[in-house]
Amino acid sequence: MAEPAQKLLRFKSHRNLAYRLVLATLTGRAIHISQIRPSSPTEPGLAPHEISLLRLLEAITNGSQMAISYTGTTLIYKPGLITGGVSGIGANGGVVKHELPATCTRGISYFLLPLCLLAPFSKAPINVLFTGAGVITAATQTGDMSADSVRTAVLPLYARFGISNNIELRILRRSSAGANGKGGLGEVQLLFPHQVRLPKTVHILNPGNVKKIRGIAYCTGVSASNNARMIDTARGILNSMAGDVYIFSDVSSAPSVPSQEQPDAKSRRKSGIGFGLSLVAESSTGSLYSSDVASPSSGGVTPEDIGRQCVYRLLESVSLGGCASLEAAPTMLILMAMGSEDVGRLQLSGEVVGSETVIELARDLRVLGASGWGFRQATSGPETDIVVSVVGKGVGNVGRKIT
Amino acid sequence: MAPLLGKRKRRLQLEDSSEELSAKELDPLEDDYSALFRQYFEANFEPLPTLQLSGSSNVIDASKDANADAQTDWEGLSDEDDGLAKVIDYSAPKHGESGLSRDEFKSFMTSKPPRAEDSTIAASSSKGQAPTDKDDNETDAANLKKDLALQRLLKESHLLEDRSSLEVSGKGRHKALDLRLQDLGSKSSVYTQQKMPIAQRKGIVAKATERENLRRREALENGVILEKAGQGKKKTEVKKRERGVGGPSVGKFRGGTLSLSKRDVAQIQGPKKREKAKR
Repeated sequence: MAEPAQKLLRFKSHRNLAYRLVLATLTGRAIHISQIRPSSPTEPGLAPHEISLLRLLEAITNGSQMAISYTGTTLIYKPGLITGGVSGIGANGGVVKHELPATCTRGISYFLLPLCLLAPFSKAPINVLFTGAGVITAATQTGDMSADSVRTAVLPLYARFGISNNIELRILRRSSAGANGKGGLGEVQLLFPHQVRLPKTVHILNPGNVKKIRGIAYCTGVSASNNARMIDTARGILNSMAGDVYIFSDVSSAPSVPSQEQPDAKSRRKSGIGFGLSLVAESSTGSLYSSDVASPSSGGVTPEDIGRQCVYRLLESVSLGGCASLEAAPTMLILMAMGSEDVGRLQLSGEVVGSETVIELARDLRVLGASGWGFRQATSGPETDIVVSVVGKGVGNVGRKIT
Repeated sequence: MAPLLGKRKRRLQLEDSSEELSAKELDPLEDDYSALFRQYFEANFEPLPTLQLSGSSNVIDASKDANADAQTDWEGLSDEDDGLAKVIDYSAPKHGESGLSRDEFKSFMTSKPPRAEDSTIAASSSKGQAPTDKDDNETDAANLKKDLALQRLLKESHLLEDRSSLEVSGKGRHKALDLRLQDLGSKSSVYTQQKMPIAQRKGIVAKATERENLRRREALENGVILEKAGQGKKKTEVKKRERGVGGPSVGKFRGGTLSLSKRDVAQIQGPKKREKAKR
């Protein structure tokens, strides 16, 4: 009675691995990824954060199978059902505890964004606690946004798809990237208790004007004056452009671990020291543009520079326009593609549509059996804007088909 | 010195006001009418700002004199900047939560994602609408109540005796209750006579039908359209089944043959669909 085995869908290279895994899980297709960093002489194959993401997927699904070759350059992933925090499978009291290794170089958003995409389609509520020596809540040099930005710039987007109930992202302990940009000792908990059968079809065609800018300046283990300096610089530039600017300040001590050289109880080693700024601009129609800059782990950058850089990035993102920024576009497009069999529309900036991430995403979706996207020039807004029409796959939440 | 200073200040103000008046009294030659208007205006409303008076040198001198013993160093306002306004910009970086409401702080800095603008708009608009919705609901409910009361009054008004109150009471109340029960679907009235001589019953029924017929005829003649006539009670023919010991369980045994009606055959064969499905 076994159903005929579907052919493995073949992908190459390590790029877009996270989204490929997410899409495979959502569509239930088995994938084969080869040539994962084959030419790297020192670290071929899957990186620690990718392994960790696979482990996370295994924890929140039931029946997933994955096979990794000896060198780690080839991966076969057969997705199971997204069960979420079902006790007994991976969770303890509904909470999936996921530990990240100290070698992890990616920020926590690398895990949060895919997890948030899977969460609405889960069978049970998702409640994942990220702990361990690899949780970096701040933005990283590898280009990940901070956990604050995930909360303030990405999670609000889910409300547009009718997913908004009691979602929480608790930053229990902040941490910047540790030495050499590796590891941190933060703690983050994601609660995603709103599961839907299918996300709503959206038609977002009006970018609106930016009228509100909010931000969070955070520092861990350094003087709070760094926050003040970042905020000062940022406001100095932004005040002349927007009326409603406010940047909050969050000061926390550095997380510390017992030092390994002297294992007596008293000596502790601080790790994950730094500061950073997360800015979110909100338009009158609810479009969100965000930017994130954090101090590099090597140090040597003044808070003024960080503030200025962050503001410029925000302004660049706003200047691109469209209803979703580059950071938010993949999330929105995936949710649209997983929606009901109806055409959803999203106006995006040409630059965002032409970005590597979005194009790769479109190709991956095509391979995974989603229908193609339609593009047309936007009738309103700048001429470079493009309206992307996405037909939903109508697969939705398998676990909630019969309720 | 300090209490003195305070006193002096107050005196200064007094002086100022008195000076205003004196200035006005001194100046009538200059602008008679405007001063008169001014006086009239100030008498009726509030005193106009003294700035307008600054043109007259008297006041400035007086204030200078008054200030002279308090701060001898002060030279008075310099006249050098020829009307060029000095601009001080306070919009440069500000700190403190003064600009932001506590709600907003809460909504942004908790673990929950901040509500998107449209949702806040929706929330605020729904906040605005919520009371109106509530009002609507309330008025709807009230209207429904009144509607029901009116319907009942129309239906039961014949039970009301010539009393001022619109509430039926006593025997009338029971009758009204009975009417309501019939409206809700009770088969017959509680007050129908259960047992009576057949002739009497026939008479009553005949009278009722006659009355009904008359009503219908009159309506027809007057061109009034009435409700459809009720179909009356259908006499259900109860077919007697052969219940003898040797009788057949199906069909009729007549003249030595068992005759089956179409219905009987259909019953034996069962539904046709099933047959097809079985094949």
